[in-house]
Amino acid sequence: MPWNYIISRLAMFFVTIYIASTIVFFLPRISGQNPLEEKLLEEAARGGFLEDTQAMVEAFDEKYGFNKPVWEQYVKFMVDIVQFDLGRSIFNWPKTVNQLLAETILWTIALGLLTLIFAFIIGTLMGAILEWKRHKTFLMVLMSPILTLSAVPYYLFGLVLLLAFSFVWSIFPLFGGYSRGIAGWPDWSNWSFIGNVLWHATLPALSVVLVSLGGWAMGMRGMMVTTKGEDYMLQAEAKGLPDRVMFFRYGIRNAMLPQLTGLALQLGLIVSGLVLVEVVFSYPGVGGLLVQAIPRNDHAVIQGIVFVLALGTALATLILDLAYPLVDARIKYSQG
Amino acid sequence: MRPLTKVTEIPQISTGFGSGNIYRERILPLLRYLRRNPLLIGGIGLLVALFGCVILGYLFYEQEDWMGNKQGVDGLTRADSVTAREKPSWNPFGVHPLGTDEQGRDILAVMIVGTPLTLRIGLIAAAIGVGVGMILAFLAAYVGGWVDGIIRVVVDSLIPIPGLLILVLIATSLNPGKGLTVDQMAFVISILAWPGPARAIRSQVLVMRERGYVEMARMSGTSTIGIVFREMMPNLSPYVLASFVASVAGAILASVGLEALGLGPLDSPTLGMTIYWNIYTSSLLKSLWWWLIPPIVVIVLLFIGLFLMSAGLDEVANPRLRRRV
Repeated sequence: MPWNYIISRLAMFFVTIYIASTIVFFLPRISGQNPLEEKLLEEAARGGFLEDTQAMVEAFDEKYGFNKPVWEQYVKFMVDIVQFDLGRSIFNWPKTVNQLLAETILWTIALGLLTLIFAFIIGTLMGAILEWKRHKTFLMVLMSPILTLSAVPYYLFGLVLLLAFSFVWSIFPLFGGYSRGIAGWPDWSNWSFIGNVLWHATLPALSVVLVSLGGWAMGMRGMMVTTKGEDYMLQAEAKGLPDRVMFFRYGIRNAMLPQLTGLALQLGLIVSGLVLVEVVFSYPGVGGLLVQAIPRNDHAVIQGIVFVLALGTALATLILDLAYPLVDARIKYSQG
Repeated sequence: MRPLTKVTEIPQISTGFGSGNIYRERILPLLRYLRRNPLLIGGIGLLVALFGCVILGYLFYEQEDWMGNKQGVDGLTRADSVTAREKPSWNPFGVHPLGTDEQGRDILAVMIVGTPLTLRIGLIAAAIGVGVGMILAFLAAYVGGWVDGIIRVVVDSLIPIPGLLILVLIATSLNPGKGLTVDQMAFVISILAWPGPARAIRSQVLVMRERGYVEMARMSGTSTIGIVFREMMPNLSPYVLASFVASVAGAILASVGLEALGLGPLDSPTLGMTIYWNIYTSSLLKSLWWWLIPPIVVIVLLFIGLFLMSAGLDEVANPRLRRRV
């Protein structure tokens, strides 16, 4: 792989991160609201005795530099971001955003990665088989509901699943990441706890996997059509290779490459969708954290979540792009 | 007789309105094509049926409110004239066919008012997004050089950022705590609706620019603007339409997502807000399943209709797909 491709791709990554962090810095400042002042006023309204709210807000602004000119704050914000310091939550004071994220983000990453990989493998195989064995009508029958599903947002399908499997038939739990109120949990060395976690994760994962199957299958089917017409397939057939070898080594290997590009593009969508799935299932990931932070205008937390998720997707896209030539030896990068 | 009579007849025929020739020349081939494109028909049919129901509802559906006055759907969804201050209930053969929600509002009326509101967000946002995207695409493809470079870098770096999260940031900072109106929602969503169309249309323009008929027009001295509007636009319209329909679906997706997070118009009964109130009041724990199902069904129908339409339009735009499937 030529160095100038890697460098330009890295530059692209940094531009993305720069744009994301700039958006994250400036947007909340448009509103001109001071969330701390609101929190203090709210406390005062609840009957907590607060002597001089204004002075407290000013002291806070002084300490964290919110009274300085915007460009100075911007520079400080950027320096902090580089050091991965995302500030402190106002409503979960004195927890830092990093601490809050550390508590939640693993749930989101685990759910997201697992569902993405499952959906990718099953969907791609399905699409490939669909084209390979065209005469099997049951496949076509199976495909139409799956394709219809792919037009539905994850979280809406999640609500339907919730309605069916938790409300009508109480097979799966209605909400949460694990059963609450059991002494000693969460305890990751306890097998029954892990079983409980998987039991809770089934419906959220199913809602993402079933919805995204259709897209992968359609993409793969389209590529398989083209691959089947290639000369090397004819040659493989002429050599008398078994069907299985032709399917996996000649068909899937070649047809799968654009699917990998699609994987990179899907990441952003999955992350957005996952946040809402977590809201629907009250899952303990960043989605739940975001929903708590939004009505309270906890800007630092919202900013932190948006930045980290943008960073995550950009990073994953970068890795996929750089790993692509390892999978497809034919690709030579002449330009970015 | 003069032999040229036949020639003089031709303009008369093609401009004659009543003679049914517009039908024969324009509409009939279109209908004939539509017959070969079941996806497009299915999508349009689904959406038309949905909106038929909405219009019928606006015209004929009325209920008595708690004061005993007759109210149409608009009145029924206003907070001050809810149908009846009664417990949420469901009885398909009773007064309220889809039941009432937690505040005693008639759910059918909410659906009838909410569906066009949700589609309105999608249409406005997609129109702005595709419009801006198209302008940028033509700028990038025609001016080239550093303009193209900047547009491409910005588009490419915006696409991997999870859009919904940026929209969450925008919506929280614009009107904290109070929610946006329906039209403000549409504008917020349009902020991130342009990179997709810009990218898709730019690549089409680049391909089209090298086509024979564009070259021909250029050599015969047509100005760039003339080429863009008279030569390229008509040929580009299937792509633009396909990306418009896809953008409407994307914008509705984003709007329902924002609304489900509680950032929507708190006082408008859109479909997404109905879902938000369901989540917010944990309706399932209270067994109010008849309140949750209708908005999901309508949104799913909307999405399937738009999805079928955009798949059908893709087939119009890429004739190669026609042979393949």
